[in-house]
Order: sequence, then C-alpha cells, then structure tokens
Amino acid sequence: MAKPSYDDFDSLRNKTYSDWTIVKRLLLYVKPFMLQLVIAFVLVFVLVGLDLVGPLFLARVLDSLGKADVEFAEIITIVILYIGVIAVNAFISYHQSLLLQRTGQKIIYNIRRDVFNHLEGLSIAQFNRVPIGKLVTRVTNDTDTLNSMYTDVLINALRSIMTIIGVFVIMFTANASLTLLISLVVPFVILASIFFRIYSRKAYRQVRYHVSSMNAYLSEHLSGMKLIQIFNREEKKFQEFKQKNIKLRKSYVMQTVTFAVYRPLMYMLYVSTLIVVLWVGGTQAITTPELMSYGMLIAFTQYISKFFDPIQDLAEKFDTLQSAFTSGERIFELLDMKPDVKDQEGAIELEGFKSKIEFRHVWFAYIEGDWILKDVSFTVNAKETIAFVGATGSGKTTILSLIVRNYDIQQGQILIDDIDIKDIKLSSLRKHIGQMMQDVFLFSGTIESNIRLRDDSIPDSAIVEACKYVNADRFIDKLPNKYHELVRERGNNFSSGQRQLLSFARTLVHQPSVMILDEATANIDTETEELIQESLKKMMNIGTMIIVAHRLSTIQHVDKIIVMQKGKIIEMGNHQELLKQKGHYHTLYMLQYDKRLQAFNQTITTH
Amino acid sequence: MFMLTLGGERMIFGRYVNRFYLKYGFFFALGVLALITVDWYQLLIPDITGSIIEGIQYNTLTAEILQNYMIELMKIAAIMIIGRFLWRIFIMGTSRRIDYELRNDMFRHAEKLSQRYYQENKSGGLMALFTNDLNAVRMAFGPGLMMFFDVMFLGGLAFYRMYELDSTLTFFALIPLLMVSLLAALVSRITGKKFKERQKAFENMSDFTQENFYGISVIKAFVNELREIREFAKINKDNYDKNVSFIKASTLMHVGIEVFINVIRILMIGLGGYLVYRTIGLDLSDPGKFSVGDLSRYVSYFGMMVWPMMAIARLINMRAQANASMQRINALLDQKVEIQDAPDVMPIQRLGGKITFHNLTFRYPNSKTEVLKNLNLVIEPGEIVGIIGRTGSGKTTIVDLLLRIYNLKPNEILLDDTDIMKLPIKTIRNEIGYVPQDNFIFSDTIENNIGFSADDIDLNHITKIAEYSDVHDNIIDFPGGYQTVVGERGVTLSGGQKQRISIARALLKDPTILIMDDSFSAVDTKTEEMIIKNLQQLRKGKTTLIIAHRISTIQLADKIVLIEEGEIAGVGSHERLLKSNPLYQSMVLRQQLEAEVEGGVTCGETLL
Repeated sequence: MAKPSYDDFDSLRNKTYSDWTIVKRLLLYVKPFMLQLVIAFVLVFVLVGLDLVGPLFLARVLDSLGKADVEFAEIITIVILYIGVIAVNAFISYHQSLLLQRTGQKIIYNIRRDVFNHLEGLSIAQFNRVPIGKLVTRVTNDTDTLNSMYTDVLINALRSIMTIIGVFVIMFTANASLTLLISLVVPFVILASIFFRIYSRKAYRQVRYHVSSMNAYLSEHLSGMKLIQIFNREEKKFQEFKQKNIKLRKSYVMQTVTFAVYRPLMYMLYVSTLIVVLWVGGTQAITTPELMSYGMLIAFTQYISKFFDPIQDLAEKFDTLQSAFTSGERIFELLDMKPDVKDQEGAIELEGFKSKIEFRHVWFAYIEGDWILKDVSFTVNAKETIAFVGATGSGKTTILSLIVRNYDIQQGQILIDDIDIKDIKLSSLRKHIGQMMQDVFLFSGTIESNIRLRDDSIPDSAIVEACKYVNADRFIDKLPNKYHELVRERGNNFSSGQRQLLSFARTLVHQPSVMILDEATANIDTETEELIQESLKKMMNIGTMIIVAHRLSTIQHVDKIIVMQKGKIIEMGNHQELLKQKGHYHTLYMLQYDKRLQAFNQTITTH
Repeated sequence: MFMLTLGGERMIFGRYVNRFYLKYGFFFALGVLALITVDWYQLLIPDITGSIIEGIQYNTLTAEILQNYMIELMKIAAIMIIGRFLWRIFIMGTSRRIDYELRNDMFRHAEKLSQRYYQENKSGGLMALFTNDLNAVRMAFGPGLMMFFDVMFLGGLAFYRMYELDSTLTFFALIPLLMVSLLAALVSRITGKKFKERQKAFENMSDFTQENFYGISVIKAFVNELREIREFAKINKDNYDKNVSFIKASTLMHVGIEVFINVIRILMIGLGGYLVYRTIGLDLSDPGKFSVGDLSRYVSYFGMMVWPMMAIARLINMRAQANASMQRINALLDQKVEIQDAPDVMPIQRLGGKITFHNLTFRYPNSKTEVLKNLNLVIEPGEIVGIIGRTGSGKTTIVDLLLRIYNLKPNEILLDDTDIMKLPIKTIRNEIGYVPQDNFIFSDTIENNIGFSADDIDLNHITKIAEYSDVHDNIIDFPGGYQTVVGERGVTLSGGQKQRISIARALLKDPTILIMDDSFSAVDTKTEEMIIKNLQQLRKGKTTLIIAHRISTIQLADKIVLIEEGEIAGVGSHERLLKSNPLYQSMVLRQQLEAEVEGGVTCGETLL
C-alpha cells in the first residue's frame, strides 16, 4: 500500500515489470490493428523513397543546365515529374498519417475502456486505498502518453531510421568512396547523441520533478493561504517558495544549456560533414568529373542535412518513449489488481426477499487482528424495522456495509433467506438492498438524473411520486427549475438535509426489498429534520429496514433495537423488553420523559 | 513595413513586464546580436557552394581555391556554433529568469490577497495562472523573441540576397510564400478550435471519471456499474472523434503547407532553370547572367526563407495567447489588497487580551444577509470564554473578524480598547493563536507543522506542547516520529490527530488570545477533557475563546456566550444559563439525549 510515489520521478519506477513485459503487453493492444499497421509501415518505405528522390531531381536539373546543348523541354519534364512525385507523396503522406493516428486513437480507446471497466469492478475498499486523483490520471493522462508513443515515436522512429538508411544507400550508390569517408563522422554523431541523451534525460527529470513539486506547493499553499496569513507567515513562505522557484529555474536553465550545447554540436558535426563533402567531392569533381558532377555535389549537401535531421529527432524523442514506459507500467499495475470482492462460481440470483436476514457469529476486521465485529448474531425478519445504536466505532456502520458485501467477513455467515450472501450474485444482492448512506453523494447533473441514476426504465411520474412520498417535493417545488434544477459538483448547492431526502427518493424509486439507512449525524435545520422524520416513519411501514440510528425520534418507531458496544451486541429486543432490562436503553427512555423535554420540543417548534 | 507592424503587435507590454525589458535588455540585446550574427553567416554558406559549382562548371576551381573556401567555411561554422550557443543562453535563459521573477511577484501578491478573493476564485483557476498563463508569457519572451528576429533578419536578408540575384523571380517566390504563411495563420485558427474541442472532451472525461470514482459507493449500491461503463464508452468515443477530427485538420494543414512550399520551390527551380537557359550564352561576369551557381544559391536562400515565413503564423498565434495570458496575470497583480493597515495605524506591538464587541453588525461582502446583528460583549483578559450556537449562527464569523480577515466599521471590535481597524495586522495575528475549523495541515513534517509559527524550531518545546495537546503518543508511533511527512507516502492522519496537531500549532505561540474554532469535534470526550484541563493550566492569565458544538467542551468556561441567528441569546456561566436560559436548557437536554443514543458516557448527573 505504501508504495513510493513515482508519479513525479520516473527514475523511481519500481520495476514491477521488465521493459520487455511492458512492450509485450503494449503490443497486445496493437494486435487487432496489425493490418493497418503493416500498411502504414509499407507506406513509410514508399514515403521515404519519394522523399529521397528530391535531391536527385535537383542534381539532374543543375547538371543538364550546365550542358551547352541543353533542351529546355527536358527541364520542364523533370519539373513536372517532380511535382507529380510531390503530389503523390503528399497524398500518401496524408493518408498514412491519418491511418496511423486513427489506429493509435483506437488503441487508446481500447486501453481506456479496459482500464475504466476494470476499475468499476474493484471493491470499495480498493478504491479507498488509492487516491482518486491517481486513478483518474491512469484513465486519462497515462493513456494519452501511450498515444504519443504509438503514433509519434513508433512511426517517426521507423521513418527516421529508414531515412538514415535510405540516404546512405543512395549516397553509396552515387559515390562510394565519398560516402565511406562521410561514415567516419557517424561514430561522433552517435557519441554526441549518447551524451546528449544522458544529460538531457537528467535535465528532463529534474525539470519534471521541480515542476510537479512547484505545482504541489502552489496548490497546497494557495488553498491554505488563510492559515499563512493568520499566522503571519507570508515572508517565511515566500522565502520557501523562492527557494523552490530558484530550483525550478535552475533545472530549466540546465535543460536550456543541454540543448544549447547539443544543437550547435550537431551543427558542428553537420558542417564538418559538409566540409568533407565539398572538399573531397569538389576535388573529385575537378579531377575525376565522371565520378562527381556539381549537380551531384549539391545533391550530396542536401542528403547530409536529410541525414542529420532524423538523428536529432530520434535523440530528442527518447523522452516520450521513457514516459510511455512509465505510464504503461502504471496502467498494467492497475489492470493486474484483482477485485477482492467478486462473484463466486455458481453464484445465484436472489429471487425476491421473503423471510429473513441473519448474522450468524460474524467476526470481521478491516485490518487483520483488529476485530471490529466480534461474534455478532441477530436476525431481521421481513417487514421488520431494526435500529442499531451505540457509540462511534462500535461497529454499527460496518454491519450495514457487510450486508451488501462491500467487504467479506472473516468468520461466521451472513444469510438472506437462508442463503449465504457469498452464494448470491453481487449485482442481485445489491439490487435487492437499497442503501442510504450517511454522506449522501450527488452527481453533477439534475435532481432528476440523481434519482434516476441512468435507469431509463423509470418513468418521470415515479420520480415525482417518490419525491412526494419522502417529502422532498417540498423543497424541490420551490426551486426555479424544479426536478431539472442543476446539481453542482458533489451536490454542494443542497443542504445535507435536502441531500438526505433526495437519497430517500433515489432508493425508493429503485424499489428495493430491504432498505438500509445510516442516519446523518450532521446538524440539519429543524424544518428539514421534521420532514426527514416524517418520511422515515412512512418508509418504515413499507418494508424491511435496517437503520443505524443517531436520533431519538427514529428509535422510538422501530420494531427492534440492538445496542452495540465495542463490536458486540450488549442489548437487544423490542421497546418493552429493553425497558425491563433496566440497562442502557432504560436510561435513555427515562430521559425522554424528563419534563424539560417539553421545553425543548417547544423551542424547536417555535424556532 | 509588414514586419514592423507585426513587431508592434507581437511584443507584450504592461506595467508588470516592462521592467523586464529594462532589467534584461542588455542580455536580450546580446542574444539578439548573436542571433543576427548567426543569421548573417548562415547566408554566406550558399554563396560558397554556389561559387564552388561555378568553379567546377567553368573549370576555374583549383585545389588551392577550394582549400580557401573550406577554411572560410570553417570560420563561418565556428562563429555560427558559438553564436547559436550564445543566443540560446541569452534569450532562452533570460526568458526563464523573467518566468522566475514573474512567478515570485505573483506568489508574493497572492499572499496579500484577502480571503474574499480566494473564495471568489477557485484555486484551480489560480493554478492555471501559475502554469499555463505564465508559460504563454514566457514563450513570448523566449521562443517568441527569437522567432521575431529570425523573421526580421533571416527572412529579410534571405529576401535581399534573392532580390539581388533576380528581382522578378523573387517576386514570384515571395508572393505565394506569403500567401501560404497567411493561409497557415488562418487555418491554424481552425485547428486551434479543433484543439480546444479536443481539450474539452478530455476534460469531460477527466471530470466524469473523477466523479464516478468519488461516487463509486453509490454506483455499487445501485448496481450501476454497467450503465456507467456504457456512459464512459460514449465519452471515450467522443474523445476518439474529437481527436481524429483535430488530427485530420492538423495533418491536412501540415501536408498542405509542405506541398505548397515544395511546389513553389520546384517552380522556382524551373523558372530559375529557364533564366539559366536564357542567359546561357552570356559571360559569367555579365550582370545579366544567371549561372547554375546562382540557381543553387537562389534555391538555398529560398530554403532559408521558408522557416521565417512559417514562423509568422506561429508568432501571430503566440502573441494572441501571450497577450490573453498577460491580461489574466495582470488581473491578479492588479487585484487590490483589501486587508491592510490603516494609514493612521497605531504602533502597538503587544496586546493585553481584552476584547470588546461594540454594536457589531456584519454582512459578508456581496451578501445582503446580516450574519451578526448588534453584538455587544466584553471579554476580560485571562477569561476562558465558550461560544456556542447552532450551525450557521455566526460563530465562525466572529473568529474571522477577530483575525481581521474582513474590514470593519470603526470601533466595532476593540482589542485593549483600541479599534481593531487601527491596530497593525501583524500585531493582531502575532498575538492571536488560532485553531481553524478545517484543521488545514501542510504536507511537511509534523515538527514543522507544529512549529509553523516559530522561526527557530526547538524540538523539546514542540514535544512538550504535543503532550499538552495529547498527540505526542500518536506522533512517536509513526515510523518517522516528529519527522514524519504528513500526507505523503501513505502517512495520512486521522481527523482527530489533525485536530490535535492543529491545537499544538496554535498553543506553541503561547498567544495572548487563543481562538479554537470547533477544535474538539473529532476527538473523543476523554481526550477533550484532558486537553481542556491542560488548557486551564496553560492559559492562566491569558484570554481563550472556545467555539464548540458540544456543551461538554465549554461547560467549565468562565463565561459562555450563546449565539442564535447572529445575535447573543445569553451570556453567563454554565450553571447560570442552565437555570435561566430556556434555549440553553433545551440545547443541553438535546445533546444529552443524543449522547445517550450514541451510547457515550452517562453524563446526566454532571450536566443537569
């Protein structure tokens, strides 16, 4: 769990997978598009060929013009031919590039689909382990990085390499001795590029590290500005910021210097080669004109620049490849995370809920050895309402999440109609149980979309009806857009009481057989509180309900009360039984009839 | 002429960047000088190749002449290599310096802005100023400047040389080239739009996944995974479509431009070839002669013109972006500092701890509702005062006002009988210790978090304070102890731990006035009791304000202030209020019942 965060520093890539494994798995995504890629590859050959004939045309024109008996028609023919080549080149180039990019996008589409679909299958516990921001990055940015690898690097690298080889072949055919001489420069070019790779990679990492550390610092301190101001720490924080900023600047400057050295260095090598070409080629042209015409000399000068460009390109593209590997690894790590709560083989559909839910000697711990529930047994009969009371941490909420199998228990059994819930399909189990959680999550959208939850089979009338039933209509009707009122990010334009009512409606409209409710502890204004209590009372009458109760009025209306303490059930029974026990519940009950409660109730209604 | 107007448009000016031109003008000048030198010498190379060709063609080239040419070429290369190194260092390096200074200016200003600004502007937008916008401005200073001079000099010189060789031919070359360039500028607007659509789709996907993951428990509860997967497929497809659409446009543009330029180049070769053909009989020294060498020179110069021409389109876009970004940055830097010392500020360094609220009525800026109404209250030095009230009753507002986060009318709050508006803000905040409601903790070591207010950190002292705040035992349980970095590598604190670290942070100041805003909500009653006992001892003779929801937190206070809908609904000791104040009574009773439901301690005897 406590993995080093290598998000900002790819040198810290923890080699879960070898480079080769990553390549193999990335290639698996390429497999369905083999045909397209083969076509694209073949077209690269054609394109490089067409590109490299250009200087030959120029050589031909120049040489022809040097002849005293030149026919201008010949020049025109060459020009027209050359234009033809360019047109064909452009046509192929456009379609090849499009084919490739489209394929890349399709691959990314598939990877994104796989990552997202896989994530949807993970358990809530697994979601809680990884920061949401990171998960989002996996689906979006990391896949995007892979895209640039598939399209930009892979094909451009091939094109670059093909061009380099092509240039050599043409030059060698035209003038072998000169070409061999030129090849002497190659080791220096490689050496320079290797050095550049080493330094630029270092610089690149430094920049990335300092950029993300600067961004993290900024985002934290801009949101914590109030505290900085209140503690009079502006100056100290500014100095801290400045230090970070200096480091960032230095890393950028280092990157600039790397390029400022490499680019001119490559230029130096280029000019050296040019000098070799002009000097040796020029001498050949004077002494052995049949070996080297001046037109060919010009063509050679053009070829060597066509030779240097792809090398520079290759050296500078390397970073993309590097980050693609990192992204690939992160994605595969996620894809290899097995869902820890899943259907067992032969799991069945639950056909309606008939008789009872039963906890049989249930033991449960989130962390091994730290038991949250210790030997908990109870039964909830159909149509019954049961309430759990107890201190924070006594295990009430855990019971609710176990019923819907958000976690698997370590010992004992949870049964619904005498079937172990592990033998029931997760989807079937959860469809039968309507959950109303303490912190109601609302999606951005409308009130209607939050109740419907993309289930188009629910008619609008059912939504309105459900809202009426749970008293949510009272505040919805006051909104300018009623059921189409926009819900902003996480529903922050609604009070927690209103959100609670919406979650009631949301649950009702999906018609569960059993409802579980974790009552909100948040302070809710009195008016909404009354609406909530009223609708709760109604809901208790329509079916089986299990409530983690925080409010006295809620408990007053249930069939059975279970008092929990430190993971154990300490009192259980209906109202009368518990009163007779003269225990915890009894104290509570006696308090209710304290005469001062009347005063309390009065203030509530008058306020 | 065209270049000049373009220059006027490209440069970005403004109050906050003009000084950079002055400060770094020298470096920029050096960089530009190096750039121009490179451009100048670069144009000499085609002349050498051209001469060599002529020499070969007319058999005038000797080994000696060739050697001289080569030596010249080496000299040119040497100068160019140094020049290229220098302009990168001077122009790009200086642009990084400007980037650095502007970022400093922005952060320094952001530190002065009021909370109102931070509430109105999302931190995401602020972040964008520091990242995207700053980068756009930097680009205008770095690559932008370089391109601008390249367009002017490389483009200008190449044009001049071409014009010298043949004016009509140049005319035919330049007009289509200019057209391509302007067309590219136009088309890039379209691709820019497609790019934005692409970004939008990407953001959409980001938002969708984020929300989906945050709401995963709802999705699982309603077995909605498949529906979400279908919805994601749509968004995924939209991303694909938008990407392909952008790629189509940009590929078409690139290929199109390349074709145009190549065709122009070949036509130039053809036309130039015709010129050579026409003047074939003339002598090389004849001014009308257009030799094969001239054609080679011409084609090379043309090649050198292409990049500056294309740069024009990029420059135009870059300028537009940089200007828009500069405006946004200016808006931040122009933001008025609302909370600052009054002109007639009194030179007070220390406070005694007396607080007076005098007819305090307050509404938040841009709001019509009065949060506090006619508040009158005196807190004597050394008192422990509990402030209690329902959510939204205005308790936190009182704290904000005491900390001078908002401006007040004269004499509404007095500290030691001096109007808070006339006290130096530094003094107020130095003298007040504050435990915020949200317990904001920085991702720094625990030691630094507790020692936030101290200039020199004394671990012994910090340990002692942590013990008073009942968090020491938790801290030493962490693998790194006090050096544990919060919020990184899995060490996240529980709400209660954060709260107690936050209490320690404020206690470390040993302030004249301590304000605790709902600081015990996440700790259990036992811990609360212990900390409050420590507080009573530590805070002797100093003013302490405790804002709370729970009665148990404040029942031992010297004075309890009950706030209801922005007004004081009762002041007095716990016993007095319990006897005489019905609202307080009902509050006590209700909390007691809730505690009972929660199964907490039986506090009936102690409270009633």
